[in-house]
Amino acid sequence: MVATFLQKCILCFGFLSLFHAAFSAAQHRTHLRITEQEFDSLPIDILIQGIVSLFITMYGVMCIAGDFKEIRATVDLESRSWETLRNIPSFYIFNHRGKAFSPEYSKHLAVNHYSNQKLSLEEWTS
Amino acid sequence: MASGRVKTKLEKTGEIVAYSEAAVRNNAAVLEYCRTSMAALSGGTAGLLGLTSFYGFAFYVFAVVGLWGLILIKAGSQWKKYFISRKTILTHGFFGGLFVSFCCSMSFLDNQIVLKMNKKT
Repeated sequence: MVATFLQKCILCFGFLSLFHAAFSAAQHRTHLRITEQEFDSLPIDILIQGIVSLFITMYGVMCIAGDFKEIRATVDLESRSWETLRNIPSFYIFNHRGKAFSPEYSKHLAVNHYSNQKLSLEEWTS
Repeated sequence: MASGRVKTKLEKTGEIVAYSEAAVRNNAAVLEYCRTSMAALSGGTAGLLGLTSFYGFAFYVFAVVGLWGLILIKAGSQWKKYFISRKTILTHGFFGGLFVSFCCSMSFLDNQIVLKMNKKT
């Protein structure tokens, strides 16, 4: 799954909110230091903003990480037809003796069996 | 095209269920990605909130359980389709994430400690 624009926006918003919380916390500490007060705990709004934005970011990351796949092995096989299962490229044969009946058949090609096979393969692929 | 190797597991009911290994690995990779990001983020958040020692650890556990809930929400009611066990999502990689989290929170806390030291000197 390709992450949609909305999910990227959620992730960006979460990160920005997290940084904003960090900035607020740093400013709060600076303020306490300047006014020479003891630090006991952060104000509740910064605390809540930090935790909520953490969860928003986690949600965004989870959306971007991708989709889960079904783990049962039979699900993969259900969508495939008999034709695709039977199709084995290694066993393709391009040579047939019936071609000797063709009016365009030349004896020259039949001299070397190997070259004949190669030629017919080239004809097939071109 | 190929479905890859197949793992089997005997259910409690005596039924043998076959799992596609490629799909299991894909799900594990998604989980690992989420967990590492979560560990880093929660460590950073703990650092900026100034949670240390026991509170920091409790915050990490809180974040792990939160991620577990989020993953179960994402998987929906049919989590059995995607995971072999629900418990392993919660416990797997707990300590690995703890170290990442610890490093992140230390780097945030360090900042504040350095600032304090600068002020004293």
